[in-house]
Amino acid sequence: MKAATLRTFQTVHTWTGLLAGFALFVAFYAGALTVFHDAIAAWQNPPWRTARDADVPISTLIERLVAEHPQAKDDFGIILPSDAAHAAYAYWQDDHGTRFATYSEMAKPSDEANRGNLADFVYELHDSLGIPVVGLYLMGIVSVLYGLALISGFLIHLPHLVSDLFAMRVSHNLKRLWQDAHNAIGVLSLPFHIIFAVTGSLLCLFTITLAALNTVAFDGKLYDAFAQAVTTAPSLPVSHTTAPMLPPETLIAQAQQAATTGGVSSFEPDYLHYMHYGDRNAVAEVRGLSQHTLGTYGTVALLAMDGKALSTHVGTRHTINGITNSAMYGLHFGTFGGNFVKWLYFVLGLAGAFLFYSGNLLWIESRRKRRHVDQPTRTRVMARATIGVCIGTCLGISGAFAAALVTSHLGTDSEIAQRVACYGLFLAACMYACVRPIPRATVELLAATSVLTITVVCADLIGNASALLNTASPQSFAVLGVDLTGIVLGLIFALLARATARRARQGDPRSVWALASTS
Amino acid sequence: MIGRCLAGVLLGFPLAAVMLRLFLRVLPNDGADWVIPALIAFFPLWMAWMIGAFAFRNAVRAWATLGGANAAAFLMLWLTHHAG
Repeated sequence: MKAATLRTFQTVHTWTGLLAGFALFVAFYAGALTVFHDAIAAWQNPPWRTARDADVPISTLIERLVAEHPQAKDDFGIILPSDAAHAAYAYWQDDHGTRFATYSEMAKPSDEANRGNLADFVYELHDSLGIPVVGLYLMGIVSVLYGLALISGFLIHLPHLVSDLFAMRVSHNLKRLWQDAHNAIGVLSLPFHIIFAVTGSLLCLFTITLAALNTVAFDGKLYDAFAQAVTTAPSLPVSHTTAPMLPPETLIAQAQQAATTGGVSSFEPDYLHYMHYGDRNAVAEVRGLSQHTLGTYGTVALLAMDGKALSTHVGTRHTINGITNSAMYGLHFGTFGGNFVKWLYFVLGLAGAFLFYSGNLLWIESRRKRRHVDQPTRTRVMARATIGVCIGTCLGISGAFAAALVTSHLGTDSEIAQRVACYGLFLAACMYACVRPIPRATVELLAATSVLTITVVCADLIGNASALLNTASPQSFAVLGVDLTGIVLGLIFALLARATARRARQGDPRSVWALASTS
Repeated sequence: MIGRCLAGVLLGFPLAAVMLRLFLRVLPNDGADWVIPALIAFFPLWMAWMIGAFAFRNAVRAWATLGGANAAAFLMLWLTHHAG
């Protein structure tokens, strides 16, 4: 490759990385936690704290739904709970839009599912920075920039790929060490990053991309083709003859049986969908999660009257469209290989966050005036922004966990408290990074994040100690796992604070990170 | 730099879209079985064109080449549409 082309790709890599880096840091840090979405949900609502309506059978929930909202009969879904301590809830469309309700909320349904759920809030930060509507599109653009940064970074690195990949030159030249770490993580986790750049772009920009492709190249036929490609249940005409429906528990058992014919060893239903409930031709669709297969999400459609399987889209019985659709979700969320893959995604997610953090540090180091104590304004601004946004994100998310813990003990609404704690701490960290000398702000914010994270999980462990000792279930192990992971993360923040403090005292005095050059 | 960037973004988008449409068109049943893989392939293809645009020496070449490729792709789409 010509030197001029290589330089162009270097510029593309730097600018796309800088433009998208901050949002990607949030997406990766929150995304790493989102891998354990269900465990975080269990942490907030542990199995020994039984939720309201948890003992209501699904059939009773459905009976009340169709009695109070008969218009829902045509099309409604039931979100099945992950354990017996939590309640199933229904969702359907009416004149006000999508409605959600558990059994006791049926008379007054809500327009939002799982209000105040910490795991969903962390997911929201991951996919849209918590900004409604616009945030999703913004993250879609960020994903496209991320893809460009990846390709250009790979092309720059290509000529020296083999020789430099495992070179970790630990010497007094810190910039080279950061560069080596950045390159090694970038190249080794490249397949993982390609998955996110592609699936992230598609998941965030799906609606507008489909509309644009439909107009530009598909003569308006793409919507129909797409609907056909993702349909898993046959559409049967309404017979207008009423018929008794099989109990949902029986339908779920029938679906599990049908799923095993698709070559999967497990099928854990999480969603039940009815069309024309009460009619002789009513169809029930059961969606479930299978492990150790790329097509993790599968569906079985049954005749709701007698449980006859109408179509099975599980494991080897997926269509090409079905397997790629399911694989896209599996690859993005790491649901395809059990706990090993989840931990791998967690570690790679944190490594990804490090990649963007180290990219900014490299930019700062590259523009450092080596012989000047006073560094250029842009270098100092970037250093302040990097610590404010990156450490502020970690601090804010720990704050959301703290708010969830406090509100669950007080029995108050956690929705507002989580947002206020998260965004409040994030903004406070950004402002702190703007006014305090850079090395001091870095050490203090890292220390604050460490203390807050460890305090929250220790408080949770102490509060739940007896319940944890007396309850041995996958859900209680998940709660323990979240607490222990929190302790490890808190210790990592403490180690980073110590290393930064040492660098501030003993490192190059002409760096923005040195106490000698505090500004 | 900006000129090549715009060429990749604006001309790469329809080019990637039409290439996928042509790919689906050569498959049986108008590619109905491959709609989702084609949609997934769209973003890598668009990104490839965006990066590819930076490999041109200047913006004029990038616009001319990608513009020509678009014209050829749309012409092929039109021909396949009218041929069958």
